[in-house]
Amino acid sequence: MTAAHVAERTQASTDRDDRAIAAQAIGLSKTYGEGGALVTALGDVTVEFASGQLTAIMGPSGSGKSTLMHCMAALDTPTAGTVIIDGTDITHLKDKALTRLRRDRLGFVFQAYNLVPTLTAQENITLPMDIAGRRVDAEWFDTVVDTLGIRDRLAHRPDELSGGQQQRVACARALLSRPAIVFADEPTGNLDSRASAEILAFLRASVDDFGQTIVMVTHDPSAASYADRVVFLVDGAIVDDIVKPTMAVVLERIQELDRPRAEA
Amino acid sequence: MWRVTLRGIQGHLVRLLLTAAAVMLGVSFVTGTFVLRDSFDRAISGLVAGSSAGLDVAVRGTEIAGGDGARARLPLDLVDSLSAVPGAARVSPDLRGVAIIAGSDGTAVRNSGAPGLGFAFSDDDPAFTLIKGRGPVGAGEVVVETVTLDKGGLEVGDRTRAVIGGETRHVVITGEVEFGVLFGATAVLVDEASAIHSFARDGTVPSFTITAADGVSQAELRASVAEVVPRGIEVVTGATVDAENESSVQQGLGFFTTFLLVFAGVALFVGAFIIGNTFSMLIGQRARELALLRALGASRGQVLRSVLGEAAVVGVVGSILGMGLGVLVAQGAKLAIAGLLGVDIGTSLPVTSSTLLISLAVGTLVTMASAILPARRAARTAPVAAMRGDTPIAQKGLRRRGISGAVLLGVGVGLLGLAVTREDVPWVAAGIGSFVAVMGMLVGAPLFARPVVRAVVWPFVVVSGVVARLARQNALRVPRRTAATASALMIGLALVAGISVLAQSVKASITEGVSSELTSDFVLSGGQSPVPPQVATEASKLSEVSSVAAVGLVPVTIGDFSTTAAAVEAASMPENFTVSMAEGRLDSMEGDRVLVDRTTASDNRWEVGDVLPATVGTLGAHDLVVGGIYEDSQAFGTHVIVSRGLYEDAVPSDMQTDLQVYVAAVGGADQAQLREDLDAIVSPYLVVSVMNASEFATAEGTAIDNLLNLLYVLLLFSVVIAVLGIVNTLALSVLERTREIGLLRAVGLQRRQLGAMITVEAIATAAFGAVLGTVLGLGLGIALQRGLEAQGLRTLGIPWGLVVLMLGASVLVGVLAAVAPSIRATRLNILAAINRA
Repeated sequence: MTAAHVAERTQASTDRDDRAIAAQAIGLSKTYGEGGALVTALGDVTVEFASGQLTAIMGPSGSGKSTLMHCMAALDTPTAGTVIIDGTDITHLKDKALTRLRRDRLGFVFQAYNLVPTLTAQENITLPMDIAGRRVDAEWFDTVVDTLGIRDRLAHRPDELSGGQQQRVACARALLSRPAIVFADEPTGNLDSRASAEILAFLRASVDDFGQTIVMVTHDPSAASYADRVVFLVDGAIVDDIVKPTMAVVLERIQELDRPRAEA
Repeated sequence: MWRVTLRGIQGHLVRLLLTAAAVMLGVSFVTGTFVLRDSFDRAISGLVAGSSAGLDVAVRGTEIAGGDGARARLPLDLVDSLSAVPGAARVSPDLRGVAIIAGSDGTAVRNSGAPGLGFAFSDDDPAFTLIKGRGPVGAGEVVVETVTLDKGGLEVGDRTRAVIGGETRHVVITGEVEFGVLFGATAVLVDEASAIHSFARDGTVPSFTITAADGVSQAELRASVAEVVPRGIEVVTGATVDAENESSVQQGLGFFTTFLLVFAGVALFVGAFIIGNTFSMLIGQRARELALLRALGASRGQVLRSVLGEAAVVGVVGSILGMGLGVLVAQGAKLAIAGLLGVDIGTSLPVTSSTLLISLAVGTLVTMASAILPARRAARTAPVAAMRGDTPIAQKGLRRRGISGAVLLGVGVGLLGLAVTREDVPWVAAGIGSFVAVMGMLVGAPLFARPVVRAVVWPFVVVSGVVARLARQNALRVPRRTAATASALMIGLALVAGISVLAQSVKASITEGVSSELTSDFVLSGGQSPVPPQVATEASKLSEVSSVAAVGLVPVTIGDFSTTAAAVEAASMPENFTVSMAEGRLDSMEGDRVLVDRTTASDNRWEVGDVLPATVGTLGAHDLVVGGIYEDSQAFGTHVIVSRGLYEDAVPSDMQTDLQVYVAAVGGADQAQLREDLDAIVSPYLVVSVMNASEFATAEGTAIDNLLNLLYVLLLFSVVIAVLGIVNTLALSVLERTREIGLLRAVGLQRRQLGAMITVEAIATAAFGAVLGTVLGLGLGIALQRGLEAQGLRTLGIPWGLVVLMLGASVLVGVLAAVAPSIRATRLNILAAINRA
């Protein structure tokens, strides 16, 4: 580890201190199988995600980056450790409470958009609010829709939308309930570069303009460069943490991380 | 490719088993019907042989033309010349008639529907055996058949009442006999003198039974007997009698088995929709897999054969299960018959190889035929589809389907309308029309899915908002599929609704007819049993009674026209019935002058004063004169009314019983008192009851209710199949929408809400089928009622209670069907579901 990196990490920790923490994992582990066949997806990970930041989680395939996100997003249950979301320890919550937590305080953007094909774009956007039986804030709805530029697409069904448009609808859905955190799982994985750039610009803007907290799993260095901070995972452990990453720095880190693996 | 087929079956085992269950239910009807028929066959051969024990030669009168199988009676003294025939070991006149005994509770011992028979007791009669006590001596003693005794809670030595040949007697039971065969009838035996007194009052009997001496064949004895009997008397061998009995029983059963097979057909037809539906969904989900096979070089034929192979396996498995269930169905039916009718048809359940072959072939072929369309679609899958991502939801050509459905529906309704309104269009057209209309509804059903489902789900949307809206969208996603799933319920309920409209109309017409045409205060009726003539005689002596109309029945044949005529005294009619004369006068009916209803008169071009050569009862070649023509009447239900005088000449005195006796009170008479007095008159006759007009109408309707209940039980099968179909479709839908369900759960849909969503979808599907079926059934029922208006079905009755019940029950069907798929969906792992390819 170079001196520069150490300096950056110190900077990152001081940066964190003056921000509230949106989500936090303490000693988080996730293992599959038993005995000799034991596979460790996450090994004793402790990490915090600050409010009002766009954090990217990166790492090679099988590094545990998705598992980390799923555990933090109350979609998966860890084997050990604690997850605190927006001040709530969710580790021992039952399905019903977890479902309500996801519904009311989390937002999701998936790689494959995951819109309900029978509903129009507008219905998809308001779906979590409708499920909760909550009134949609019309002003906020207009703001989100106009920011994403999908107003003229609201009456269309997903199969009538392009991939980029579908992902923008998914973003609007995630943001509408003003969640504590939006989790985005490879949000640009299925998109071409132009559509990717649009989505990332929107995510960035929602952090800057609306103060939204976003945690995004990605393997795309250009996507990571939009983030305030990048957390690198390898073999279920955090190996690096960069604040204000540039694309060049991210690429360099990836190559460094890959090298020992290639040599071994 | 066989491996692919087998793997396909493994991969969708549960779903295919559900499909097989639909096949199973259909096949079970087929198997059950055949097994039941065979066991009847076997039992009947045994029974018929048993019933003619000791009968080597029968001597009987010739059949009366138009008498519905009735024969002329023979003089009792023929016994002397018959006894003198060489080779005749035993000659007995068949002394039999109606006899009913009161059980320990004082009411008649009856075996629902079966007659109460009386016989002469004789020690050496091979038809029965004395198993307890001794034979009867004198008018005060009887011997009772063992099952009858049991049913009445009676024992040898008991004192009770019996109505024998219309006479009430106080009797002592001196013995118990066992009959070879009685077909469920009750039996009371009296000594020979009493039997002659009761059953051969005018010195005639229906026939003689002759037993051959050892070493004399039936044919030889027949020949010897034929030499001594006068001309015009039939002499037949026991074998001939057996054959006749057997064929007449078979004829009755033929109707029964046809009836069951019709239901088997309905069950299989409905099942075929579910099978086809399941296969098309399975294939839709496997489109990529099939395309991959094609891309790897499998030919269309191979894909087609692979899918058909799967169908064949499902068909065979379903058929085999169905055969097993069918034997149980047959066993159940036998128990039901034994319990309800008291007819024991033996314990064996003959399962012949032809039954098995037919069942297997029907089940397998229907399954494969239903899978052909989906299989062809599968074979047409383009190899390039393997490279595509999501398989698009096919949404083509609903318009064409809607048009063909509408055309079929129109043609069907049109045919039905023609058959109903035009006399020159045969009734078969009504049947074909109904069938075509049902097919049209089946074909066009997807087009109705949107409005009906929207309407049905509306209340749920009001209550639960987005969950119900999602359910509605899911139900409407593939209208074809929803329609096919709902078709089972649709057909079943269309049948129920149609038949119920007819039944309700029959009841309403009876009530209407009774209230508008019956002016008498009371009706004395024995239900299926005749009313002894003494009842009318005694009732007319009561001071409160102004007029008594006793109605008897007599077969009448005029040229080609055969009917059963009512015999009533003209003078008694005006006070008891409203009869409006179209031509002639009511009181012109006297002697050979008869009344004819207007439809019959115009059909046969008879006019008042016409002389018609006819046979009436036992009177051959007897001229009748049309005395008057009356407006068609519901009260009689007969087309011809004859005088009592003619009736007494034409019907042997011991058969002169009344169908019903109508009693009109004098003005201002105390109804309650009159009822009490009438009760006192009928009570000795055990089976006769006193009813006022509305009770009478209700009693007439009861028989229809019993028939309806049987139908409902059979149609329950199609409801069971419908539930299976909905379960199947929902299970497949849940699988198809795994990702979507994962997403909904991720963004906050609770398990309970997910379950509710699937349940509402199921309810929407079931209610859709129920609504379509009910509307169709009501429509067909109403059309048929209109068509039968001239036949006496004048009042339309719509069973609204049943309609509400059916629609309500369909909601329940939906809830039931959703249970398993809901559980499955709520247990899905969210992550795995979202990330599913």
